[in-house]
Amino acid sequence: MTQNDIGLLVRLKEQGVEFVVIGGVCGVLHGIALLTYDLDICCRLSRENLRRIERAVKDLHPYHRLAANKLPLELTDDLCDRLKNVYLQTDLGKLDCLGEVSGVGAYEQVLQHSITHQTSYGEFQILTLDALIAAKEAAGREKDLYALRLLRGIKEKKEQQKELF
Amino acid sequence: MNNDALIEELNRGYVCPPDAGPAWRAACEYGFDMSLVEAALKQTPEERLEEHQRVLDMVLELRQASIHHDTE
Repeated sequence: MTQNDIGLLVRLKEQGVEFVVIGGVCGVLHGIALLTYDLDICCRLSRENLRRIERAVKDLHPYHRLAANKLPLELTDDLCDRLKNVYLQTDLGKLDCLGEVSGVGAYEQVLQHSITHQTSYGEFQILTLDALIAAKEAAGREKDLYALRLLRGIKEKKEQQKELF
Repeated sequence: MNNDALIEELNRGYVCPPDAGPAWRAACEYGFDMSLVEAALKQTPEERLEEHQRVLDMVLELRQASIHHDTE
């Protein structure tokens, strides 16, 4: 089993996918000390953007991991128009592409509530800490409430110590 | 520091700093090891992601080894 988040992010970037990193990996980037086993992104669900995602993972044997028959990722225009989320398993791990984030909104709102994160492997948009907290509050599952305790502590610490990333 | 005080300090683990705010204190009291968060906050986001990847690789490897062990 593999989960190579950096590898997936680089591939998405290389294909020019419009996306914002959300979920657990976003929490990690903000400083949360919890393990996460998939890469969640919020993306524009246009035909072009979905095709870019498809190109990014094309050689990684992608399939719809939550479909009963593990349908291979083979997009058609009709499918692109109907998909609201794409839950993929690839050779580099799980990649969940969501059209909206509860507590924040659809892609445009998510983008507005994101910050640019510079790395040696490219620039990425990630959800702001405030928006991530709002998303976790809205999701309200046990695991979200668990993470919320840490995120609120991190927010408070960052407000006290402005030099922290 | 006498020996008992040192042993006490070694055994105590993470102590919430006196200037910690209510949210940090709440996370601490909930049982999170906030020393891990403090360490993460001293890193850049890129270093955090790479550290997470290293730990995740190790966990997945151990999990895989455990699956193999169980099936033997």
